[in-house]
Amino acid sequence: MTANGALLTEAAARDVRISSRLGVLSRKLEFPGGGLFETRDNDGVDALLEGRSSVLARMEGSWRLTLASLAVVVAGVAWLGYYGVPTGAHWLAMRTPPAVARVITAETLAAMDNRVLLPTHLPAARQSDILGRFQRVARWQPDSRRYLLLFRNAPDIGPNAFALPDGRVVITDQLAEMSRNDEELDGVFAHEMSHVIHAHGLQSVYQASLVPAAIAFVTGDASQAGHIATILPGILLQAAYSRGFEQQADDDANAELRAHGEDPGRLANLLERMEQATCTKGVCLPSWLGSHPQTVARALRLRHGLTH
Amino acid sequence: MDTKPLTPESSARHTFRFEGSAGEYFKIWIVNLALSVVTLGIFSARAKVRSKRYLYGNTFIGAHAFDYHAQPLRILLGRAIAVTLILIYSLTLVFAKQFIGLLYLIFGIALPWLAMSSLRFSARNTSYRNIGFDFEGDYGGAFAAYILWQGLAAITLFIAFPFAHRARDYYTINNHCFGSMPFSAEIPVGELYLIYLAGLGAFLSFIVGGALLGLGFSWLTLRPVLSTVTAVEIPAYVLGFLTAASFVGARTLDLALNNTRLGKAFWFESRLSGLRMAWIVTSNLVVSLVTLGLLYPWARVRRARYMASCISVVGPAELDISQAAIPAGGSAVGEEIAGFFDVDFGL
Repeated sequence: MTANGALLTEAAARDVRISSRLGVLSRKLEFPGGGLFETRDNDGVDALLEGRSSVLARMEGSWRLTLASLAVVVAGVAWLGYYGVPTGAHWLAMRTPPAVARVITAETLAAMDNRVLLPTHLPAARQSDILGRFQRVARWQPDSRRYLLLFRNAPDIGPNAFALPDGRVVITDQLAEMSRNDEELDGVFAHEMSHVIHAHGLQSVYQASLVPAAIAFVTGDASQAGHIATILPGILLQAAYSRGFEQQADDDANAELRAHGEDPGRLANLLERMEQATCTKGVCLPSWLGSHPQTVARALRLRHGLTH
Repeated sequence: MDTKPLTPESSARHTFRFEGSAGEYFKIWIVNLALSVVTLGIFSARAKVRSKRYLYGNTFIGAHAFDYHAQPLRILLGRAIAVTLILIYSLTLVFAKQFIGLLYLIFGIALPWLAMSSLRFSARNTSYRNIGFDFEGDYGGAFAAYILWQGLAAITLFIAFPFAHRARDYYTINNHCFGSMPFSAEIPVGELYLIYLAGLGAFLSFIVGGALLGLGFSWLTLRPVLSTVTAVEIPAYVLGFLTAASFVGARTLDLALNNTRLGKAFWFESRLSGLRMAWIVTSNLVVSLVTLGLLYPWARVRRARYMASCISVVGPAELDISQAAIPAGGSAVGEEIAGFFDVDFGL
């Protein structure tokens, strides 16, 4: 190295540590004796390196590779959202031991019982009628003995039914009272059993942890704004996955009801009445947050078969 | 401030400058992001180093910029540990709630250590004019700042929160040094209270405003009241929280900087505006979301440029930092390479 023609220091090229090129940042050349030389002549330094300059820096400098990177990111994120996360969650859910499903079910019920789920008010005769239908639908399923029906009074939830991971299905008194004939309930049970078979509940649990983990790990942004920015796509993605589950359960119920000579249109009728009942009370969520596909579309699909 | 050794004539203000460009940063960001995606996140540690080096390397005081020289492997290690902890936490939450108390205890013990290690890692990998920063906080200090004070704040229903904030600032600022020059801060807690009250007011005004807007809208369109108000309240809550958090963040940083000295000869001046910062952070987020993240690099450069333009170092006219240099064979401060347990836990 020279300055004004005077030799300042001399070292073999391989002993000089040269910082990698990054944008227009100045380069640092560290000499073995502790000397440091800084320059903004990036091309000059690269010429010194004789082609040993970093591939990364060359990629970062090219607009064409930048566009290619953009395509890779879009494709990667889309793959992760459409395929990676759902497949991962499905893989994990299918391999979760039944004992774990039982623990989750017990935890969920313990958290809801005596808070939003109260002891049933249905007369014993009505209960045994409904139980009979439930057992009949369960016999349509491959592993019919895993299903168990629970009656609960749920004034805060309203007319609804939901499946728990180990095969227990909760039906609210409000839904039992709303059904005008028991064939409507067959559709509900077939729908809930489909959730159990595909382990939709477990899949949601895994998705809920995979989505934020994936976003944070890939983007590496842990700032407050970064956190908030990941919440919204996370919620929307979860809602989309959940809509997929509802459709799958609807389709399964649809096929089963038809196979046993029943009319899926009755489930459609019940769905419409359920929506009316919850929304006139003013408690329906804004549609941009709704996880159930538009009730109209669901009813149409049930009435006209899967091809619609 | 009677200890300031300088007469006004001999002192000068050296304002920070951020010279990075959005286009250049975009290229660096997207190329590294693509490599992170392709390698399923493994490359993301190197991406973080590139990104931080670019941002630091474009932050100037006078003719010189900062430098960041972390080893990506250490960041990857830190991330692997952090992700494992998060995974253990969420699995415990779902599968074994009865052990959650034990887990909180373990995290309570581990958190101060994680915070301390991260601060030390960042400091030791940052330098200016080849003089390194260092962080000398110990575990006890971190435990007091992150656990005891936060616990006290929680017990007092967050009335003592500004005290906890000050304890954290003291721990982070007063344990940093630049070469042999220590940072020291003395923060008036009364002003912290005013800042937090203003932030709370801003947040509440968003909530109340959102409720009124929702009510008016449902009255005009005859939609159900509860669902309409909910639909308006959710974005109002997010915006309100973001605005209040960035306002408080900017004002408290401003307060801390204006009360911080470096060594004997230097001190800081800041004129960060809370409202301006709230606007920048909120609009940055909206712009980033609307463009599906594409303008995130632009947003980050914009924020860095504003923050740099507001912060100055005041000291001798000739920015002589030779006194910060560590005498040969002197203290071990800053000279040692980041130790084995110095890993970066930030995601």
